[in-house]
Amino acid sequence: MEPNNKDSVAEIIQKCKRETKIHYLHNDGFFIGKFWNINHLEIGYSKMIHNPITILVEAFYYFYKKFRNFITVVHDFLFPRKPKIYVDKLDSYLTGIIIHDSLSESRDPIHNVKVEFWARTKFTFQFRKLGETYTDQHGCFHLNFTLRKARRFFVRSLRIDILLPKDIVYVGQKGTVNWRIFHTIFIKKKNLIGLGYNVHSIALPIWEYRMDTKVPRTYVPKEPKLAPEVYDRKRVDALIQQIVPSELTKTKHLMQIKLDPKLLTIDEIQADYPMNLTQCIEKKLPGFTRSDAWFEERIINGMNKATLMPDVTDHTKYHIKFWGVCHYDFNEHYALPDVDIELVKRDNALPKLHAITFTGPLNAYQKDPWQKHTFRPSDGEKWMQAKRVARMVGSVVAEVDEHFAGTHVNVEQYAIAAYRNLRRNPIATLLYPHIKEVSLINRAADKTIIAGYLPNATALTYEGLTDRVKDIMGLLNWKHWKPMTPINEKHTYALAENLFWEQVGKFIDRFFEENEVDIKKEWFEVYSFSKDLVLHSAPVFGSDFHSSDPREMQRMKDRFDHGCMVYSCHHIDATQAVNGIKKVITPITKTEKFENDADFQNAKDVCKYIIMMATFSHTWINEQQYDDLGDIMYNCGGLRFGLKERGVMAPESDLTIAPDLTRATQMLWFTNFLSRTEYGFITRNEEHDVHPYLIELLLDKKADFAKLGVDIEAIESRTNI
Amino acid sequence: MVPKHPFLHYISRWLKASYDKAVLWWTAKFFSIVIALFLSFSKRQRMSHNNGIAGRGWLHVFEELTIPENGFFVPGRQFPITIRHASATFLDDAMNCIRSISLKFSHEDFKSPFDIEMNTGQTSLFWNAASFLQFAKLRKEKWGIEYVEYYKLYPEGLKGAQWAGRRHATSFHNLHYYSKTPMLFQGIDQIKRYAKYRVLPFEDIKESGIPEDPSVWDAANQRILPHETRGRNYLKYEYKDRVQSEGAKYRLQIQLRTANDDDDPEIFNNMVLWDETLFPWVDIASFKIDSILDWRESTKLAFSVNNMPKYLGILPAKSIYDYNSLNYMRSHSEFARKMRMLSLKIFGMVPPIPDNDNRNAEDWGK
Repeated sequence: MEPNNKDSVAEIIQKCKRETKIHYLHNDGFFIGKFWNINHLEIGYSKMIHNPITILVEAFYYFYKKFRNFITVVHDFLFPRKPKIYVDKLDSYLTGIIIHDSLSESRDPIHNVKVEFWARTKFTFQFRKLGETYTDQHGCFHLNFTLRKARRFFVRSLRIDILLPKDIVYVGQKGTVNWRIFHTIFIKKKNLIGLGYNVHSIALPIWEYRMDTKVPRTYVPKEPKLAPEVYDRKRVDALIQQIVPSELTKTKHLMQIKLDPKLLTIDEIQADYPMNLTQCIEKKLPGFTRSDAWFEERIINGMNKATLMPDVTDHTKYHIKFWGVCHYDFNEHYALPDVDIELVKRDNALPKLHAITFTGPLNAYQKDPWQKHTFRPSDGEKWMQAKRVARMVGSVVAEVDEHFAGTHVNVEQYAIAAYRNLRRNPIATLLYPHIKEVSLINRAADKTIIAGYLPNATALTYEGLTDRVKDIMGLLNWKHWKPMTPINEKHTYALAENLFWEQVGKFIDRFFEENEVDIKKEWFEVYSFSKDLVLHSAPVFGSDFHSSDPREMQRMKDRFDHGCMVYSCHHIDATQAVNGIKKVITPITKTEKFENDADFQNAKDVCKYIIMMATFSHTWINEQQYDDLGDIMYNCGGLRFGLKERGVMAPESDLTIAPDLTRATQMLWFTNFLSRTEYGFITRNEEHDVHPYLIELLLDKKADFAKLGVDIEAIESRTNI
Repeated sequence: MVPKHPFLHYISRWLKASYDKAVLWWTAKFFSIVIALFLSFSKRQRMSHNNGIAGRGWLHVFEELTIPENGFFVPGRQFPITIRHASATFLDDAMNCIRSISLKFSHEDFKSPFDIEMNTGQTSLFWNAASFLQFAKLRKEKWGIEYVEYYKLYPEGLKGAQWAGRRHATSFHNLHYYSKTPMLFQGIDQIKRYAKYRVLPFEDIKESGIPEDPSVWDAANQRILPHETRGRNYLKYEYKDRVQSEGAKYRLQIQLRTANDDDDPEIFNNMVLWDETLFPWVDIASFKIDSILDWRESTKLAFSVNNMPKYLGILPAKSIYDYNSLNYMRSHSEFARKMRMLSLKIFGMVPPIPDNDNRNAEDWGK
């Protein structure tokens, strides 16, 4: 149904957006709000999550949390680690070398790691700092201290702490690095006999690359203490509180399904989860969410934020392309054809939906991967079904290509290289707040989504997914990246993206101007960062693909051209090869010492790109997942072929093609908790780690962003969910 | 910075100094007793340097001396001299060992106006009493490999070993020996000075046996090389032949620096070389060895840092971390020497080192 009164439609949409927006204040309870009421809007109506036992368990959890926080405060008060260094004549020193604990790669030295030498007293257990230093470019450290201070009678134990940057805290405009103890070496007091004491090679798993992946990923050891980073405690609390309700709901569903699938229906599953945007609109405007207008809006300005490619022959048209299973490994259960959406240009409006063409099978019987089916608005019910299939393919593409590969893994590759190399360079204070925790959340996503939900609920297998992610990574490069060009003022996503990019650009310019001297002084870190980045980056898209089928080769070429349009990768320098493999990422610098201004500009560009990807680009998709994937009948990650000849070209009422019960609850579960991060926003700045100037720049444009439908206070400072 | 309560500060410092001195005294005595009981008396051995050869000759103080006038090194003065060359600690000359020379300004077994002990290498393997005890503790010798852990833990110890070890030296005579830890030198002018001594071959001969680019493992692995053709006593035989045929002539040199109240304690650190431009080595005497002592006479010899004039003696030490505590320990090892002599009298002389295939050994009994 197409509503006539456009103002009222817009109002209803805005109202529903407000109603379904998730609000979370991390100091409050989740099941039980301030006034001990159950917050159905946030957590849904499942009885599983508002029964007395759950509430009692939650009460215990809060007690535990407060007690834990109290103990931490008491401990820090009683045993502070004061910065004062107890020193007299520096007559002794500790020496050693810190290297990467890599089994299969060369064990490279780790530069600029902080090393502290502490004594603990016998009776009062106080900490006394005896000295501190940093490792040099070769990973060696030479920490001077006073022997007699270390061998005092009252000294109980001695320890060398190796510290890694934990986070950044801004006081005013000045950011300082907080270090966390990553590794401790206890040394016997009696072994200190003056002059040098060599602790030798200390091999630590500090931001190691995984060797079992096709893209640069962080190795996270099983031993929690050796994890390269840890979530902030408040972040963990927020995550627990926000995941538990949907987890309980999902668990209840899975138990019911296990007991007897007939006990549960899709509608009941849907009802147990909080209402999403499309359901809300559908209640107020029945049929609107299945209309062409809504389709256009969501595909162009929604989670998909699809790129409009001008038609090369007809300048009045655009195309939106979603690539399906292509040559990747797939299962026979779900449909995932290539989608070509044809739209007609309109003045002062989004382009009008004109046709949808699928390439690939739409049912279980016709398997030809090159078969084409075109549907137009005049096709009646088939047109509605085609839009549903296109939405589904668009969602898989958005989740796998844009969300997981384009932001999560993309940011992670910069995060590993940055954490491995940037510590004393001011760029560290610039980037850390935006790249933190991405490796941890990606690791969680590997298990629950990439190896869990997606291979079971979409056409792509785990192998197919990882290959696809690798290929997408082969299109992502910081060099020459630019935001989408808006087609008109209705193209709100592109306008918002450009506005955000502009503000980030201003911030980066000022930051680099203020810190130019120190950035150039610590240029070796930038060099190492660049070296790691390039060395471990993915091969250029298609450079390692060969097929005897010319259609397959042509599709790869089309995908590359399309990818270059989407990711601005026309300028990939294919000559950048490491060990014969063409690497997608352009080096920032090739010199250990600062030598030319072009490299300085490169450093600015790469920082700007990283912040853009980690904040705006990720938030855009992440926060809208529940809007676009929170209604099982409206959209899903995979439509089953079913057993009928019509396949996926069937009405919503045909539950044999919809996700089954397990997949349905899993989808709502993950889109629900992924969309409700609600911790780590730029402007809220919960951890005081975001540069105040960036906040100021964004808040200055708050009204402009609001006009584009973007709540600037809801943009996350990092990719942490 | 002036302390808030000078008197309390003084008392506190005095107490600490007394405690340090007591610990040093106790450490030196205890170590001496342990060595006396478990090595000198029970095994009739020196603490180290058992593998040696001694000779006698005469020392001539040079007529023209550039050092301050003093009561001992008087121009033209002559002393009878007994020296003993040794390899520490193994009974195998072909191993990579530190080589030594001990000088006694008399022909007696022990009594002498001036004794001094020197080793190869400009720096040592330990630098104070604490490091020496650790050195002893971490020896952990097995089949000619020792101090592996010590060298790993202590870079200066390793450096000292790398500098001091000599493998395949062609003669005891052409090596350079250094006293390392400074000693007192007070001339007639009563100005306090510090002195280091060294012995070189009289002629300008290139030093032999210096290992090239040694690693940690090379320093710890003192074993003879595979297919070694040199015998267990080759250096001693060479020295005996040399002395009997042409004699062995040496040069004794001294390095002096004037003492100041604000001297950095590092000047006493035997791991830190004094700048030879500011404090050049100067000749004080030459000596020639023209007769070799037999094994029995050689074994009976003993040297002591206490055999020195007061104005040339050892420097006082304040604690076990004081660099001068090494000489303090040496000066308190008299008990061990006496016990060795007693043991030799009771149980008889230790046998000479045999020319057999018991290589890499540190004991006669194997």
